[in-house]
Parts: sequence; C-alpha cells; structure tokens
Amino acid sequence: MEAFINGISYYLPEKVLDNSTLSSMFPEWSVEKIAQKTGILSRHIADDNESSSDMALKALEKLIKECGIDKQSIDYLILCTQTPDYMLPTTACIIQNKASISKNCGAIDINLGCSGYVYGLGLAKGLVSTGQAKNVVLITSEMYSKIIHPKDKSNRTIFGDGASATLITSQPNTEFFTAKIKNFKYGTDGSGYEHLIVKNSGVNTNRENQKDLYDEEDNFISNDDYLFMNGKEIFNFTAFEIPKLVLSTLEVNSTNLSEIAMVIFHQANAFMLDFIRKRCGIDADKFFVSMSDIGNTVSSTIPIALSRAIKEKNLQRNQQLMLCGFGVGLSMGGVVIEIC
Amino acid sequence: MEKEIFISNVKQQFMDPEEIVLEMSTEFRQLDSYDSLTGMTIMVMIKDEYGIDIPESDYRASKTIQELYDYVLEKKGK
Amino acid sequence: MDAYINGVSYYLPEKVLTNHDLQNIYPNWEVDKVTSRIGVQKRYVASESEFTSDLAIGAVNKLLNDYNIEKSSIDYLIICSQTPDYLLPATACIVQDKVGLPKSCGAVDLNLGCSGYIYGLGFAKGLLFSGQAKNIIFVTSETLTKFIHPEDKSNRALFGDAATATFITINPNKEFFSAKIKSFKYGTDGSGYDKLIIKNSAGHLIKKQSESFLDEEGNFILNDDYLYMNGTEIFNFTAFEIPKLIKDILEVNSVVIDDITMTVLHQANSFMLDFIRKRSGIHSDKMFIDLIDTGNTLSSTIPIALCKLIENNNIKENNKILLSGFGVGLSMAGVIIEN
Repeated sequence: MEAFINGISYYLPEKVLDNSTLSSMFPEWSVEKIAQKTGILSRHIADDNESSSDMALKALEKLIKECGIDKQSIDYLILCTQTPDYMLPTTACIIQNKASISKNCGAIDINLGCSGYVYGLGLAKGLVSTGQAKNVVLITSEMYSKIIHPKDKSNRTIFGDGASATLITSQPNTEFFTAKIKNFKYGTDGSGYEHLIVKNSGVNTNRENQKDLYDEEDNFISNDDYLFMNGKEIFNFTAFEIPKLVLSTLEVNSTNLSEIAMVIFHQANAFMLDFIRKRCGIDADKFFVSMSDIGNTVSSTIPIALSRAIKEKNLQRNQQLMLCGFGVGLSMGGVVIEIC
Repeated sequence: MEKEIFISNVKQQFMDPEEIVLEMSTEFRQLDSYDSLTGMTIMVMIKDEYGIDIPESDYRASKTIQELYDYVLEKKGK
Repeated sequence: MDAYINGVSYYLPEKVLTNHDLQNIYPNWEVDKVTSRIGVQKRYVASESEFTSDLAIGAVNKLLNDYNIEKSSIDYLIICSQTPDYLLPATACIVQDKVGLPKSCGAVDLNLGCSGYIYGLGFAKGLLFSGQAKNIIFVTSETLTKFIHPEDKSNRALFGDAATATFITINPNKEFFSAKIKSFKYGTDGSGYDKLIIKNSAGHLIKKQSESFLDEEGNFILNDDYLYMNGTEIFNFTAFEIPKLIKDILEVNSVVIDDITMTVLHQANSFMLDFIRKRSGIHSDKMFIDLIDTGNTLSSTIPIALCKLIENNNIKENNKILLSGFGVGLSMAGVIIEN
C-alpha cells in the first residue's frame, strides 16, 4: 500500500523579531550584517503563554480548514517536537484533547529536530502501508526561542518558532496537493550529540539556575540551561555528509538529479544552504529556499517550505521532489516524493 | 435503591468481605482492611451498579455508608 | 511480508530498593501491607550518575549478545522514553554512537509511557513493511525514580527503573523466540493529561524549587517538580476502558478470548491487573501478573514480562499472546503476537 501527502498547513506565532530590533539589542550586530550572513530578515516568536501544543493546535486547525478534512476521520497524530509541553505526559495526547479528535486516535510524540519531518513521514508511511491508520496527521511544533539565552546573539538571529501539520493517507486526493511518498535514506552520527544540545535538561535537569559563560571579550558563549550550538561542527557535518545523503537518497529511489524537479533542504541558514547546494551539484533554480521571514524553525522548516513551494511554484503532476533534513543528533534523513 | 444490596455491594470491594461488619452507620474508611485501592473499587462499583460517576472529593466527603448511599440516591434522582 | 519480534532482553540498574529498605525509610508506614496489595517487593533504581542512555546501552548490548546479532546489520533504532537524557538531542542518537551502531542507521526517540511498547512495535512493523528498514532494535528505557519525590511513599514503592531491547525483523528466527506481530488498536484520551504528569518540566519548566503539598496528617501529596499520579483517576480509566480495549484488540485480529493463550498487560500493579482481569472475563491462568521484583517500569513492563515468559518456557508453539499497554497521556494500545 502506498502513502500520500495530502495537504500541508502551517502556523507562525504573531510576534515578530526583526533585524532592526536585534541590532538595537546587539549594537555591533548590524542589520545588513545579519541579513548578509544568514539570509534572515525576521523570525516569529511564540508568546509567553503560548505552548507547543497551542501552536500545534493552530497548525492542525488550519490544515483541517484548508484541506476540508473531517476531524473525526483522523486516526493517528504524530507530533515531532524538541520543545514539548511536559516531559510527561505526551504532548500529542494534549493536542488530541484540545482539538477534540476521536478517542480512537493514536497519539505519540517523536523527538528529532531538523531531520524530524523526514523521519515523521517515514513513520507515517509505515502506519498507513500496514493499515494501522488511514488518516495520519504529522505535526511539527518548535519553539526554540524559549530555550535560547537572551544574550545569545547568533542563535536568536537564526532560530524562529513555527508549527506545521501534514495529512498522510493511503489514497491520493487530487483536489488538493497530493504526492506519493517514495523511498527513504536515514543516517545518525551520535558522536556529534554535543554540537546541538540543551545540557541541563531531561534527566539531567538541575533546578538551580546555571551560570553564563563569557569569553575574554565579554561575548556570551553559553549557559547550560539554554541551547548550545557549535556552528562550526554542524557546518562541517553538513558539508561532508549531505552530498552523500543526497546521492544515497537518489539511489534508493532509483533516480538522479536530472529527474528531480525541486530540492528542499532543512532551512538551516541561507549561507550554509547555498554552500551545500553547490557541493551537491544542485542547480540554483531547482533549490527552494524560503526562510528570510521565519528563520530556522527546526523540524518545521521543510513542511513550511514545501507548503510555500506548492503555492508559489507551478508544480506539475509526475514531478519528483527531494526533501533532506539534517542537524541535531546528529541526524539526517532524505526522501523523494512524487506529485500525483 | 435497596439498602441491603448497597451495603453488600460496598462490602464486596473489601479484601475480607466475610470478616467485616458493615452497617449504614459504619465509618467504612476506619476499618482495618480499608485502603485507597478499596476506595477505588467502591467508586467503580458505584458507576457499574448505579450509573453514577462520583468525583473523588465527593466520595471522600461521604464518611458513612449512609452518607454514600444518600449521595448516590440523590444523584440517581436527578 | 510479516514483522517478527525475534528477541527481547532487559537490563536493570544495580541499586535495589527493597521493602525492607522502605520500612527503614518510613518507619511509621505499613510497607508490607501496601506492597502486598500492589505486588512489589523490590525495585531497581538508577544511580545518580546513571542515565536513561546508560540503561538503554545495557539493554542493547544484552540483546546483541543474547541473540547473536551483528551490530552492523542494524539499520534503525527506536527509543521510547519519557525521561530522556536531554530535551535535545534525541537519546537514540547518543545510544547509536555509544553502542557502535552503523552511521547508516536511523535513530529516533518516542515519547509515550505505559502504552509506549505497543506504539513502538507498530512503528517498527510499519518501517519493515514499507522497506525502510530490515533490522530494527526497539528500546524502552526509563529512569523515572529520579523524578519521584523522596517523601512520595506510594510512588517510591511502586515504580522502578529498567530498560529493554527488542529485535524486530521481517524474517522469523527458528533458533530463538520468534513471534509475528499482528494487528493493532490505539486510543487516546488527553482530557486525562494531568492525571500522570511532571508539571514543572520541559515547556512548563520554571527554575525554582517547588513547594511540597502535604495532607492534614503530614503525608506527602504532591510537588510540581516531581511525578504526580492521580491513582483513583487512572484506576477508573483502566477499569472502564481496558475491558473495552481488549474486546477491540480481539476484534481487529478476528479472534476471541478463548483463542488467546496469554494476556500480558502493562504491569501497573497487581491489584489493578487482577481487577481488570475479572472485569474482562479472563481466567487467571491466562493473565500474566508479575512485577514483584521490578515494580512498575513504565514502557518496559511488557517486554520484561515477555522475557520472563520466554525464560520460564511458558511460551511453546502456536500461541496467541495479547499485549496491551495503557496509562499516562492518557493513552492505550494493544496488539496480538503469534508464534
């Protein structure tokens, strides 16, 4: 049995953090400099009282509305998040209740970041192809802004909050966007686990406030209570591993780049993306980037970009798209989808 | 709602139904063999037999069998 | 194509908390009276420096060893935990590296509790059928005792830490235990989300030491920094929903209760299990109830039970075993496995 993406919607929180505000907080960090280095002009930030399940709910409701879904037909919810409401219970259960979805629905959280959407599609395809569910909704909901230190200039620049919801079913629905989910390639390198981490979290949670670390020039380096990202190591990882991932993903789908109409990578930052694009030998006109107004929304970047590509680009039947996610873990995943 | 049957239904939820004596005036929580699990099964029995969902706070407020009985009777009347 | 459980192993931390220990810690509490009702005599407790990934690694290594599995053949690792090492990165990535699984392996964490084992089996089956993986290791690993308040007598008596690892592939294994994974039933009732919860955690984390609430007799009730469980509500939920769930599991598998050789439910506590057993009309011979030396280990209870059944040679040929997990979420699920 096949599995199809049959609709994608997304939600961005109202509050916007633009570059001029950032620049006023960090005077040495000019607006032009930010845009040039990252390709990001603004990012959406969740409200103080907004939780991951709140954002997820809004994305789900948008999906239901935009794709005319009968809520009661949803029989499985997968939430991909690294910023859950609680350690326990599972945030997907909270969403099931907030959205008034049937109690016969399965609901589960998966924890992966930038590769999470691809992994989630894979898990959804598995459920649908074994008849365990007919209408799976894969939600991504990330609010990294809540775990980024106020003085962490670079991460505040890069990351934005956002949620998405994707419908995956066993039947194509040509009334809306519909694409067959083809084959996957996965990869993990946990030796890099410390390159993107919140050290004082999970089982390691210490309830005392951790100390800020500064360098000799008084620049903020890190605080264990907050997100730490080793940009260099992540860059290195992607530079070497992603070209290989692209090749393997094409291979497992018995296809090549010339047969791919569009490539959507996890929208990490524009500079890195362009660098990897060239290393992968992908033409600029096939490479979709849409993040200047939202930044890096972790597992939400690919579905948001895909949703925008559907609206903005004239995608045709039988065209193949390649999606590649990579980052925190370190983890990566690629898949090809074919428009029906 | 038969009182004798009600008492018997509550009694059955105890670990040792044959050994204990329960009357309408009995403060059933004071019995030696009563524990929180007994309470849980009594609440389930009330739903099973009388169709009443008794919130824990109301259950706790009923000290004697009589009070519990009166509560269920009142809810059934509604 | 079919999906098979081809091996289950489990790993327990070294430190033990016995009933005797509990009696010393709480001299005015009738430990034996309470623990005989819930069916627990000892529980294993992770040490301060022992994390969920450590237990997981222990379980994976045991599985690889017990079943002569080639590390390099593993292409997908799933870890189910509600007490991960970190909020990010995923614990599965850490374990992939520390065990030495290939970099071509997929790795993902799932967050569910007592129903988690069943959900994980469902994902594994799906991945195999859709050709995304061939040799899956599915781990459950919890260090919940780290989140139980020192004065929370009942939860300290009930819960234990443990990890398990299950090997799932598309080919049955004649050499060891091998069971086909059949059809699933899932359910969720998020209106009960706050009945089993760590309030001050993750997205709701406030950096402060929360206050403990005590009752009139000075007994610990709750502290938002720690696990809270509303026993009555959970009991109520299971009393009414699980007999229905068992019926649904039988139906989706086109079998009846008489076809079932053994029922293995999430080992929440022995009293509740026996209560559910009676309500479901299942004979005591056909329901596995044993958490006496491990306590309630959340998503690990079902696979540990399977291990015990295999060890005690209680699973011969041609068995239909009904597995069902339920609890925190509130969430529930069930499946039948057949050997």
